[in-house]
Amino acid sequence: MGKELLSAAAGETLLLLGNEAIARGALEGGVRFVTCYPGTPSSEVPDTFFRLSQGAPYYFEYSVNEKVALEVGGGAALAGLPTLVTMKHVGVNVAADPLMTLAYVSAPGGLVLLSADDPGCHSSQNEQDNRIYARLGGLPCFEPATAQECKDMARDALLLSRRIENPVLLRTTTRVNHVRGPVVVGEMPTTPAEKPFHKDPARFVPLPASARVMHTRLRALLDGLVAEADASPYNVTSGAGDVGFITSGVSRNYLADVLAEDGLTGTVQVLELGMTYPLPENRIADFLASCKKVLIVEELEPVLETEIRALAQTRGIAVEICGKSAHLPRRGEFSTANVRQAVRAFLGRPAAVVDTLTVPADLPRRPPNLCAGCPHRAAYYAVREVYGDTAVYSSDIGCYTLGFLPPFRAADFLLCMGSSISTGAGFARASGKPVVAFIGDSTFFHSGITGLIDAVAYNHDILIVILDNRTTAMTGHQPNPGVDTTIFGENPNPVDLMALIRACGVEPVKVNPLNHKATLAALTALSQQHGPRVLVAEYPCPIHARRVGQAKKTLPARVAGDPAACLAVRDNLACPAFAMVDGAFTINAEQCDGCMFCVQLSPDIKPGKKEAK
Amino acid sequence: MIRARIFFTGVGGQGTLTATTLLARTALDAGLPVTSGEIHGMAQRGGVVESTLLVGGYKSAIIAPGEADVILGFELLETLRALPMLKRGGFVVGNSESLQPVGVCLGRECYPPLTQVLDTAKGFAARVVMVPCISLAEQAGTAKAANTVLLGAAAACGALPFSLDALTRSIEKYLKPKLVEVNRKALALGAQAAAASQAA
Repeated sequence: MGKELLSAAAGETLLLLGNEAIARGALEGGVRFVTCYPGTPSSEVPDTFFRLSQGAPYYFEYSVNEKVALEVGGGAALAGLPTLVTMKHVGVNVAADPLMTLAYVSAPGGLVLLSADDPGCHSSQNEQDNRIYARLGGLPCFEPATAQECKDMARDALLLSRRIENPVLLRTTTRVNHVRGPVVVGEMPTTPAEKPFHKDPARFVPLPASARVMHTRLRALLDGLVAEADASPYNVTSGAGDVGFITSGVSRNYLADVLAEDGLTGTVQVLELGMTYPLPENRIADFLASCKKVLIVEELEPVLETEIRALAQTRGIAVEICGKSAHLPRRGEFSTANVRQAVRAFLGRPAAVVDTLTVPADLPRRPPNLCAGCPHRAAYYAVREVYGDTAVYSSDIGCYTLGFLPPFRAADFLLCMGSSISTGAGFARASGKPVVAFIGDSTFFHSGITGLIDAVAYNHDILIVILDNRTTAMTGHQPNPGVDTTIFGENPNPVDLMALIRACGVEPVKVNPLNHKATLAALTALSQQHGPRVLVAEYPCPIHARRVGQAKKTLPARVAGDPAACLAVRDNLACPAFAMVDGAFTINAEQCDGCMFCVQLSPDIKPGKKEAK
Repeated sequence: MIRARIFFTGVGGQGTLTATTLLARTALDAGLPVTSGEIHGMAQRGGVVESTLLVGGYKSAIIAPGEADVILGFELLETLRALPMLKRGGFVVGNSESLQPVGVCLGRECYPPLTQVLDTAKGFAARVVMVPCISLAEQAGTAKAANTVLLGAAAACGALPFSLDALTRSIEKYLKPKLVEVNRKALALGAQAAAASQAA
């Protein structure tokens, strides 16, 4: 989606990704300040703002991490600008410290926090349910289900936030972020009215005495918003009868399709919730009172279920409430399949028999793999050559987590962004074993640097390998503070990674990992030292280099000698450009990036245009 | 109202998502309600890419096992892997050519033969049409148009809720001008191959 996202006039229909729709909705809500840390499934929201940022009516940054993003965004909202801050669900943990106090301090300009949750762990280390953060932090919460709602709710969340001067949570899930559907766009606003900052420390500085007052004010605000939630156009009742369903977020879609396909639409009552916090208590109480029994359909934690059970008890409503069950578990994603079985079990109908083909369970797998030409492959190969299985490998979050797979098996444990250095340090101290920590450049800036300072301060015995590919590759090649180039040209203010490490108290060694001999020599020397050590393996991600027009022209590698003699290279590198054709090892010239790493490992592989016949 | 759940499967880099979006635009231009689903992230690193297109008023953007009216398989092994998604009486339109996963390349796993797709789907699918998309795309001018070859094949054998002409118009309307001609050719070659396989 190009410039038409900005230029489309009210009433036009655009086919938008949920995340693009969120960007348009925020623009319709008058957003003037956008910060983020990228992460699947949220990334296309900031990427859209970044792509359209030149000459746009907003400030945009890829912040160093989520905490910084929310703090910078919080500052902008204090200064009066309508603000959007985006991150994935686990990023909210990083931002949790400012988040828990933001609603005390308030956000006069308006601030929407997008939390993109990932039920099913499509690209995440856990499947936490961030609707709980709305409760913990005192943020009204919207849960869109379609591309249209992504647009509408992003707009309305920002308008609500600005009106009540309180942050608002826009909580999505992977399937909503990555839905693509028609969106009828609305008016783009003129410049929002100014909200100049007036000094009022008692309002904005949460010293204990003020914080108590702030908390009282926040609770009163949220209590007052119950009426707004009751009347929200995103909370809709439909159907008839004394059997009811209450559902929110993407589950609304599954329930609607199941009811339609089972011929139940209209014969049961459905309460769909789009604005879920504060809970629309009166609306729900009326709904409960009109039903004999109610099934609550929500992914992940029984957030609504618990609150609705409490509501029924408080109000003395005699209704049978069902929720989490084997069909509606607390883990994983829902689909029409499990919702259908849940609906049938709830109604006492026979289970659906699913008529499907079966295929062998042992089909060859196709796990994601480091790309052809990826410099991480070369770094991992060299580290394995020096340490083999004698070291414990502390991994981190990025493309390089794929080093987990054979042949590298370069990930023995992993907690979260930035943990490789600190967790590795703790493991080394406790076990006395050699530990190698792998971390990318963006992740190092994000939260690895604090681990390095700790390692220096307490002389932890750890080798830190910074896999510096000059971009944030995993999430879509976003710039980070250290990059040289972005899609808009040279980075005007790059942070010098080497100087930063040096300032922490370690003299880093820098190598090009695609230069095998030099990398091996550096690693061998470092492996004989103790204390905190840093190897910076720097080479640009080839995909990023192509995107910013800095890829060097290279020849593909070819098998020049005996293919049978190349099998060790094949097994040790597992490059996607390698293939077996009619039983013989070959290098696919189309796939080969020309990194020439394999050429350094076998005299039978040479640079060249064609395979030897 | 035509209702169809279409399941797309392929390998990162094959243009599976581009094809999905092109079909979504075609459906929208035909006045059909449409919703589509994608998964980004890890899958792009040479892994499996699955996407969905639901036409005719479905609200969900995902497809559960046994629900797909059509499977569009951009790679042979991934087509086989996706067969449990197929509804009895559905269509399978697939690429008969393969991209080796790393385990096959390393000799640890065996790539299944084309006949395994045909044998598995026989008696369950209404029709299985497999065409050599990569070769035909090369014939059209670039292997990158293999996704369009498959769309041509699918439209020609009646698996899609719109015509080959509608797809041609989408190519002209939504692709970059320099890519239109090669994709038009690719679409036609796919359609011819599907027609030939039906005649055979």
